[in-house]
Amino acid sequence: MHLLRLALASLNNRRFTALLTVMAIALSVCLLLAVERIRTEARTSFASTISGTDLVVGARSGPVNLLLYSVFRIGNATNNIRWESFEHFANHPRVRWAIPLSLGDSHRGYRVLGTNLAYFEHYRYGRKQPLALAEGRPFATDPFEVVLGAEVAQRLNYRLGDSLVLAHGVARISLLQHDDKPFEVVGILQRTGTPVDRTLHISLAGMEALHADWRHGVPAQGAARLSAAQARELPLQPRQITAFLLGLDSRLATFGLQREINGYHSEPLQAVLPGVALQELWSLMGTAEQALLVISLFVVLIGLVGMLTAILTSLNERRREMAILRSVGARPWHIAGLLVAEALLLAVAGMLLGVALLYLAILGAQGPLQAHYGLYVPLRWPGQHEWRLLGAVLCAAVLMGGVPAWRAYRQSLVDGLSIRL
Amino acid sequence: MHSPLPILLLCLVSSWATAEIRELRWSELVPADAPPPAPPAAMHDLSQLADVLAAENGPAAAQQHPNAPVVQALDGLEVRLPGYIVPLEISEQERVVEFLLVPYFGACIHVPPPPSNQIVHATSEPGVKVEQLYQPFWIEGPLRVEPASSELAEAGYSMQAQRIFPYDLP
Repeated sequence: MHLLRLALASLNNRRFTALLTVMAIALSVCLLLAVERIRTEARTSFASTISGTDLVVGARSGPVNLLLYSVFRIGNATNNIRWESFEHFANHPRVRWAIPLSLGDSHRGYRVLGTNLAYFEHYRYGRKQPLALAEGRPFATDPFEVVLGAEVAQRLNYRLGDSLVLAHGVARISLLQHDDKPFEVVGILQRTGTPVDRTLHISLAGMEALHADWRHGVPAQGAARLSAAQARELPLQPRQITAFLLGLDSRLATFGLQREINGYHSEPLQAVLPGVALQELWSLMGTAEQALLVISLFVVLIGLVGMLTAILTSLNERRREMAILRSVGARPWHIAGLLVAEALLLAVAGMLLGVALLYLAILGAQGPLQAHYGLYVPLRWPGQHEWRLLGAVLCAAVLMGGVPAWRAYRQSLVDGLSIRL
Repeated sequence: MHSPLPILLLCLVSSWATAEIRELRWSELVPADAPPPAPPAAMHDLSQLADVLAAENGPAAAQQHPNAPVVQALDGLEVRLPGYIVPLEISEQERVVEFLLVPYFGACIHVPPPPSNQIVHATSEPGVKVEQLYQPFWIEGPLRVEPASSELAEAGYSMQAQRIFPYDLP
């Protein structure tokens, strides 16, 4: 106890360097924990986005790519697939439900998804939780109805009955807008913490109506242009979609149907098991995560070496202090203990400040992270892994404190009470 | 020596005075009297052609026995079985809580997929952390056998795995 008090008093005497050292440790610990926190939260949000789906089917590209664009709305499809292919597999005897997905348009940076009512009935997220409407109803037979994800409605401040204009392409600010065919908000989904929150859902007929008068890659001009009322009169049978999700009657049939889809003769298709694609994605991300973790560990190491330098350089100035301590009866191991205690204090203060900084940063960045990256980082207690990291930092700090302690121990033995400076 | 500044200023002023920037719309890039583009060529649905051709090649590599016979005597037995985990459901803690156990890694593309009596549909409450898909595991627990006659479920094996641990070479 006396040692700690002495260490505190001594540190107080050099509070400026001590404060800087604590800051260095705090920043490095904060970085380490932030990297760890974002890594786990990103994985959690990926894992909880899709559940209960047996196969994701789309044009041939790669399993990870297909999963990313169809479920996470990251990146774009390589190609569309024909409606007949969807119908063929939706009516397959082993298929219990099928959800068509049609992507490619956006509204102020949020993706628009064309689908049908099966989406609201069969799509599952988290642990097989169904989607629920916070207000309103799913889109019905009128093609110009839209159901908003929770995030879209909140950020853009839309209410039931509002009308909005969808844009071609997926840019945040779009130059080409389907401004002659406004959509009416008929429903708003409850928050799910998944990309569904950042999606606008319209019916496949709506998607078709939106593009009905596009010819040769441009919207029709002048008289060829269709109004919303004219578009309603058209046969709005979708001709192509981007991907579809399948639920089977038995999970044992997954491989068989997957093979059947991959070998489908009428169109090159690709079916992936979402769990397998997710695992592949993680092992891809794993390399980058590991690099980040190693870098942040080195930053912590640098912070601790900074502390070591500060203590070591102070040793020479403090020979007199040590001599006085010796003269009042301190033994050499007291001196060594004093220095270890000093390192411990600095490290603990740094870590506490680092954790506080982390929570402040999370509090501040929560909104932007969710808005821009769809990543929800909750304020929660440090997990087991984080405690382990903190423990490792503390151990490293004490070990580092051992170096000046050993030198001080030697010096105090050699110097005794007479110092030749 | 002349200072370049007045000349520069002069240039700026003159360009500002003369150049009038016209804002264009994309539709203005198309001449007004442009002939309307030809109607799209009629689409012939040739998709069925592949089926006809494929029929000549023989049947596709379908699952050999979607309803393969099962060994009823194994029902309820506590068993331990090695295999590869094909994740179906992953919890928020990144643990695989529902998976298919198969005797070989990956959906080997050279041969047809395994028959249904070579797959075990397993669930596990705490779940298992799968770092690499090609890592084999032992799973331990009571095996349940659904007979082929059952109306509701498919014929096949399932298990509520009690213990899952990495398989090491003996």
